[in-house]
Amino acid sequence: MDIATALFYLVAIITVGSAAVVAFSRNIIYSAFSLMGTFAGVAGIYVFLGADFVAAVQLLIYVGGILVLILFAVMLTHRITDVEITNRAAGRIPALLAIGIFIFLLVQTIRETSWAKAKEILYAPTTARIGDLFLENYLLPFELASLVLLAALIGAVVLSRKELRE
Amino acid sequence: MDLGNLESLKFFYPEIVLSGTILLLILFDLFIRNKRWLGLMAFLGCILSLVTTFQLYGMSPGWLFHHMIILDNFSLFFKVVSLLAALLVVWMSLGCREIREIHQGEYYTILLTSALGMFFMASSSNLLMAYLSLELVSITSYILTGFLPHNRRSTEAALKYLIYGGVASGTMIYGMSWIFGMTGSLDYARISEALFQGQTNHLALFMAFIFILAGFGYKIVFVPFHMWSPDVYQGAPTPITAFLSVGSNAAGTAILMRFFFPAVSRLGEGGDWLFISGVEWPHFLLMVSMVTMTLGNLCALNQQNLKRLLAYSGIAHAGYILMGLVVLNNDGLKAMLFYIVVYLIMNLGAFLVVVIVANETGKEEIGDYRGLAWRGAAIPAVCMAIFLFSLTGLPPLAGFVGKFFLFAAVIKQGFYLLAVVGIINSVISLYYYAGVVKTMFLDFPEPTDPQVTMTANTSALLGVLSTLTVLFGIYWGPLVHSLH
Repeated sequence: MDIATALFYLVAIITVGSAAVVAFSRNIIYSAFSLMGTFAGVAGIYVFLGADFVAAVQLLIYVGGILVLILFAVMLTHRITDVEITNRAAGRIPALLAIGIFIFLLVQTIRETSWAKAKEILYAPTTARIGDLFLENYLLPFELASLVLLAALIGAVVLSRKELRE
Repeated sequence: MDLGNLESLKFFYPEIVLSGTILLLILFDLFIRNKRWLGLMAFLGCILSLVTTFQLYGMSPGWLFHHMIILDNFSLFFKVVSLLAALLVVWMSLGCREIREIHQGEYYTILLTSALGMFFMASSSNLLMAYLSLELVSITSYILTGFLPHNRRSTEAALKYLIYGGVASGTMIYGMSWIFGMTGSLDYARISEALFQGQTNHLALFMAFIFILAGFGYKIVFVPFHMWSPDVYQGAPTPITAFLSVGSNAAGTAILMRFFFPAVSRLGEGGDWLFISGVEWPHFLLMVSMVTMTLGNLCALNQQNLKRLLAYSGIAHAGYILMGLVVLNNDGLKAMLFYIVVYLIMNLGAFLVVVIVANETGKEEIGDYRGLAWRGAAIPAVCMAIFLFSLTGLPPLAGFVGKFFLFAAVIKQGFYLLAVVGIINSVISLYYYAGVVKTMFLDFPEPTDPQVTMTANTSALLGVLSTLTVLFGIYWGPLVHSLH
């Protein structure tokens, strides 16, 4: 196993491990913090794929922005750690069994499938090509994504606004 | 016809008009005092967009914006359906007391944005566009559901909707990543090419389909992705419930057919569709269809809240609509499209009566409808009876014709079990629909029950919808003809 493969497995373990902590931790603050490992790990995977710009954006936006926002929201919410989680342990064994079968199936299928592989990964700057594609082939999805954001923005303002002015 | 960005704009008028209306609504909301004008503006925008859509009918099919969306009569049909839904819901909102108490500018903006999302759902020919359009419709639906301020049910419904929706679209995009991994493309045409010539693993393909179906199925509301619908339908403002019940369903069906027909099956000789062996998704849909209609109808039997009852009946109708997909030929397709139009009209009508009654009484329980016909609301009660019997599928109403076409297509292909299950379900549904009608006509009102009156606005809309329901039941020729 060369060093790149070993590094990849390390990043993968960090990503999945922190995701598991996010899901299973009883304390929401721990969950919020370990989200950092997941976000950073995903950025690492982007690096392995040769997507430099996306990796940088992932770090800037998710680790630097969204995670901090989540932490603020968690810490500023009044008595958030006292909330009792009611559906904690319902049917643990059947769930474990079902998930086990499901994961087995997934892994088996993934191993058997012949995936379409990229020829080779070019470690070259991607920003220029991303910019070109956004204004050529992917113009419509780009505009549609901005519409999605606009709608979400308006919705967030409306839902958090308290009273009618009239 | 395969056009680039600038040349595509010529065929993009409906979307441009709708987006323009949305932006103008946001702008005018700043300085228009009487918010009713905004509703009228939204209404006008819908009509304008509808006109431009009709102008595009009958063109030769083609791709726009570098293979991102497809322009053909099928997508235009669903554009018309979602515009009609938006149009009628805007009209309904103008006469709804619930809506008058909220931020109307943003309400109409988000409503039209949702309709625009449905446009793209019906026309996307690329997995990326499919995902983005589905998210656009989902996000706007969450917002609209939670629009009532200080209403516990509305907030709870929005939150539940958000969580279910997040899980469903996460599952879907995971499935899409499998498809991308197997074919190396996001474009439907190239996916189809790669799947039909390559040695694809059928099990992997099947699992990817199941994942993707989770996302689509959650929009169409079929079992087992239906759990959100009763709570959301009950909690949302009634016009929004009406919009979701027809719009979300139609758009989900559209995106499902868009993906499954061209991408993973091919048109064979004689109008039948061929599909990749080992991945016989119509058989899977057959099961889903039967379970969906049965579960929806059985759960509806015990409901006390009329909006909840209509939610379960909506699940059942999603099952009926799926019947057309199972058949997998042009007959089934036509029957399904016909049924979607008819369902749009009669279901919106039923919700309109809920709005009229809630305007005066503020209540939605079936018990509050007792003796409705004798409380000054004979006309809404009669119309409600028409809509409910049409939903059941009794002649001579539009619902009967729709179901007749569906069952005929199913029986012609030899799916007898499905037809029998469908007919049994129609009989079950008669019980609860007739229960509502009985409460309205045969129970006597208490002296404390308020009188129910209509405004000119709501009675006009009620008149239009009930006339269409009866008209398509007797004289369905033109509508069927326009579907070809």
